[in-house]
Amino acid sequence: MRRWLPWIVLGVLLVGALGYALWPHGGTESLDAHTRRIASELRCVDCEGLSVADSATQTARATRVDIRNRISHGESDPEIRQVYIDRYDESVLLKPSSDGIGVLVWALPIAALLLGAGGLVFALRKWSRQPRLVASAADEEIVAKERSQP
Amino acid sequence: MKHPFRWVALAVAAGVCVLAVVLAVTVSSDPHSEQNTSRLVGKRAPKFSVVALDGTKITSANLAGKTVLVNFWNSWCIPCRQEHDALVAWYAQHQDEPDVVLLGIVREDNRDNVRRYVKDNGVTWPIAFDPGGKAALDFGTRGQPETYAIGPAGVVAASKFGPATAKTLDSMVTYAQGAG
Repeated sequence: MRRWLPWIVLGVLLVGALGYALWPHGGTESLDAHTRRIASELRCVDCEGLSVADSATQTARATRVDIRNRISHGESDPEIRQVYIDRYDESVLLKPSSDGIGVLVWALPIAALLLGAGGLVFALRKWSRQPRLVASAADEEIVAKERSQP
Repeated sequence: MKHPFRWVALAVAAGVCVLAVVLAVTVSSDPHSEQNTSRLVGKRAPKFSVVALDGTKITSANLAGKTVLVNFWNSWCIPCRQEHDALVAWYAQHQDEPDVVLLGIVREDNRDNVRRYVKDNGVTWPIAFDPGGKAALDFGTRGQPETYAIGPAGVVAASKFGPATAKTLDSMVTYAQGAG
């Protein structure tokens, strides 16, 4: 049991940290904050590497106004995202969706991590089963002979 | 299980192959993977309301029943300038047709630059500003020039990203008229 204790502690810490990171925080979101959050998930379509929230192009500004109006009219976040996916395609999302082919983007790193960890555990166990090298009498004799020489 | 590593490697290789096939099928079956096709094609054109250089309002409702070529452009974009001669040539041929309209909608530009460009380059077809960039957004434009052919029934029949030739514009209009 003592041998597994550090692993159990590590696992609990990892699950706790992930849970804390993914759990929604804060109280009611303001309209501005809500607009900014969705705008930050959408790619600015006519500029390089910026979100709609960070871009100053006319299209990005129009998008922010559109998102704000849609929130005010009671559209949900997935509905608003879907409007933009329908208008452009999945590439408009800076954060890949978690269904369809998008699930691969999330699943592959986890699968790679698990495979790597599994391989490491397998290799360590294999190495630990190998007998340690013990000096034979002949080895000891050679060392003693070398050391006795001036 | 004499060589477990061999089996693990085989499983990983098989996984990679499956993944490659899934990706290839997904990408090749996306009808919009060629970025020269708007997702609007085949759908009802967005309603729009834009403001002409003389201040009059041009709306999609005003143009209902006509075949409309909507050309998003601006004065500073080089491809728009490259497209200019084609638009001039096409408009010279079709400006007397009452049921066909060419409408240039300004995207990402200021009014003075547009007015100067129109004056200096002899643009005679209707040009309109897009307040708040709403029309450009609703059409899902990614840049300029982008041209959309809307049929008399209000459905987007064809689109072109980048400079169009007069021949392309002709084909788009013919297709839009045929599509209804």
